[in-house]
Amino acid sequence: METLRPREWHLKAPLSQGDNGKLRPGDIVYLTGPTYTARDGAYRRMLVEGHEPPVDLRGLTNVTMQSSPAGVEVAPGVYHVSSLQATAGFRYAQYMPALLERFGVKAVISKAGMTDEVRQRVFRHHGAVSLSTVGYGLGAIYGRAIERVLGVYWVEELGISEAIWVLQVKELGPLLVEGDAEGNGFFAQANEEINERLAQVYQGLKPPVFRRIGEEQGPKREPF
Amino acid sequence: MAVSAGVISQELVYRVAYEANKRAAIAVPKDGLAAFEKAFARETKPLARFVLGQVLENAKLAVADERPMCGDTGLPRYYVKVGNTARLEGGFVALERSLRQAVADVTHDIQLRANRVHPLTRRNPGNNVGVFAPNVDYSFEPDADWLDITAVHKGGLFGTDYRMLFPADGVDGIKRFLLDTLAEFGRRGLSCPPVVIGVGLGGTKDQCMRLSKEAACLRVTGDRHPDPEVRALEDELVELANRTGFGVMGVGGDTTALDAHIEIAYTHTGGVPVAVSQFCTAYRRATARVSAGGEVEFRDDPVWFTPYYRREGIG
Ligand code: SF4
Repeated sequence: METLRPREWHLKAPLSQGDNGKLRPGDIVYLTGPTYTARDGAYRRMLVEGHEPPVDLRGLTNVTMQSSPAGVEVAPGVYHVSSLQATAGFRYAQYMPALLERFGVKAVISKAGMTDEVRQRVFRHHGAVSLSTVGYGLGAIYGRAIERVLGVYWVEELGISEAIWVLQVKELGPLLVEGDAEGNGFFAQANEEINERLAQVYQGLKPPVFRRIGEEQGPKREPF
Repeated sequence: MAVSAGVISQELVYRVAYEANKRAAIAVPKDGLAAFEKAFARETKPLARFVLGQVLENAKLAVADERPMCGDTGLPRYYVKVGNTARLEGGFVALERSLRQAVADVTHDIQLRANRVHPLTRRNPGNNVGVFAPNVDYSFEPDADWLDITAVHKGGLFGTDYRMLFPADGVDGIKRFLLDTLAEFGRRGLSCPPVVIGVGLGGTKDQCMRLSKEAACLRVTGDRHPDPEVRALEDELVELANRTGFGVMGVGGDTTALDAHIEIAYTHTGGVPVAVSQFCTAYRRATARVSAGGEVEFRDDPVWFTPYYRREGIG
């Protein structure tokens, strides 16, 4: 049995160009510093409807997380997070050009990373990396890494599960480097191996009499 | 106000439902832990092994800190089994009120994510309670006066699919459909493997979907269907799923499925409805029995699929 551990980095946010340059797909990162969450609601409000962000996100940090923490308001204006996890990243591919451009983002933490196309075209251009939570649901481990909730914004406008949470984190990790600053992707490589095996397991199973629309694209292709 | 002897009080129902939700959110049940440990022990791929180690560590920390095991705390729901002669203070309307109240309170106290929103306006009431939320499903048991409450916090937007096959598609059709579902959702871990696979086979379409979810969430790992043909297929499906090599998170690894459970229902002679559900790495379930005398006992196995529940004849 191979006992190799992945390469491990302990980095400070905001990330420097040098930090990003070191990272390779499959590495593990632990992050300390400020970060903020944003997902459907916040992206739409900032990037489509053109609202100014509620705080100077660009000045604060260059690491963002596609997440909605499990947290509540424990006293008026005071929030606490119990557990933290990111959501599937590929569905936000359309927002990435504007997000990276306008907010100077250099690392996006998602679940399972970005599409190959966005990683190569957008992330590489900005020298940004795509990080993925692992597990994927290490909610308690990630929740523990939150030192402080610095602020929660747009609760009224978007509801608590779509709000922007600004978090001070300490050793938030393990996070998997899904895409490095040069456009290389972890899953692009992992999938090659899996696809070979997949072809073998399908072998000998006769296709159903009645197909479904779209089924012909074949199981090797990612459906996004 | 005291209730009469042999009647289960709503105050108790509320407390048990509250505790079941708390346990479900935080603590991986023993059968799940054992399955994750087994997956960790046999994993040969270094990254997958590292991640499985973290999953086990996370399970420990969640209990130590009383934190939800995943930041997506899923959709709280209930499976309620009622003994045929059980008596409930205020009847079923009061029961449902207690169940809904418990979800709202646990959401606040344990800090679950308020996941339930209006599907169009996306309005979020903030307590995981709303129209048809939380779901409550019922079954009954003869010769019993107790009440079983199971809370499941099912995660994963993805991972569930349904299709209609023809009888001529046979077991190949079922296997292919499982592979299609795994390939669609397992590759980037949309369904967060390793999962427990639940397969609904037969019945009507809606029954088939329901059974697949119950099979995934309400049978302990290692449990096998009493029908020898079904149990043989369960073994085959685990083996098939693991041969794909998706592994934990889809990073490439030896365990994609911790187990597979199939539930069958008699179906239309012309077709084979089949549904697949996946119970994700956040393996969240807790069951308690409330006796007519008011004793409460939590246990690992929901024992949802009783011989009576799966009965074949008229009685
Ligand atoms: S699918 Fe399960 S493990 Fe994955 S993020 Fe959702 S709740 Fe957590």
